[in-house]
Amino acid sequence: MAKILVVDDSSTVRDEVAGFLRKNGLDVDTAIDGKDGLAKMKTSPGVRLIVSDVNMPNMDGLTMVEKIRGELSNSAVNVIMLTTESSPAMKERGKAAGVKGWIVKPFKGEAVLETFRKLAG
Amino acid sequence: MISQAAKESFERIVFQAARTRLTMNPAHACEVERAAGHEPVGRGTSAQVHVLTIVSIGFRIVLMLQFADDEATRSYYAGQTANRALPEAALEIGNLCCGAINQQLVEHFPDLGMSTPYTLSSDCMGYLDELDPVHLAAYDVTIEAAARLRVTLCVCASEPIDFAAQVADVHESAGELELF
Repeated sequence: MAKILVVDDSSTVRDEVAGFLRKNGLDVDTAIDGKDGLAKMKTSPGVRLIVSDVNMPNMDGLTMVEKIRGELSNSAVNVIMLTTESSPAMKERGKAAGVKGWIVKPFKGEAVLETFRKLAG
Repeated sequence: MISQAAKESFERIVFQAARTRLTMNPAHACEVERAAGHEPVGRGTSAQVHVLTIVSIGFRIVLMLQFADDEATRSYYAGQTANRALPEAALEIGNLCCGAINQQLVEHFPDLGMSTPYTLSSDCMGYLDELDPVHLAAYDVTIEAAARLRVTLCVCASEPIDFAAQVADVHESAGELELF
């Protein structure tokens, strides 16, 4: 089954997002920051969709995506940023790194579930 | 260093962020009142303060949230989801509130950056004047006539701040997926 990786330093958000996706039959793994997310991408080739926060300690979400595209040469995995950030500059950096979409928190699962299914399929 | 219009704009933005992001349900009643000082909420206040910063080239905003350490507040924020501790829930609630402020400000200051939330001792609140703020305001927030917290906004500036924000409804686009 295609896997979704949820990356957020907030356990509240990880539990909320991963719990919602699992409840809807999706296979989900979690990571606590960008560094952890990058490490999991090195060992989990089955991940098809990453849902990641931007502001996190150790490594932010956009740096993680840039490293996945660059160091891991993985251009296939879809990435959605789930963040409180909404600045045009951040979004532009995301676009340049190959981010597929942007959600400003709070997370409203029902609104994005079908798109997540398609991107993870 | 800061215009009256900017102070009023900050207040409108904080009121809006509090009402939309500090409630667990948009239908919940949320009262926001300007507080006389920036001391702790009073007896029963948490010993911790949850802090976030928004930084631009010309100013730095420090947003501090002190949740009341009582059953009503714990139950409201932490009790509704699988035994979450209040400090853990408070960090994400603060993150959402600061994010809503950031969303409004970025319309006027496109160079903004926001920190991750962090926790300090509430003893720090007595030393805010040491930051030499150009604007310092505190607000008492009461939700559903039960949960209480104090939100303190501290603005430090290295250049004049003057803007006029008409607060937009931050609920409009939040949660929606913008595909690139």
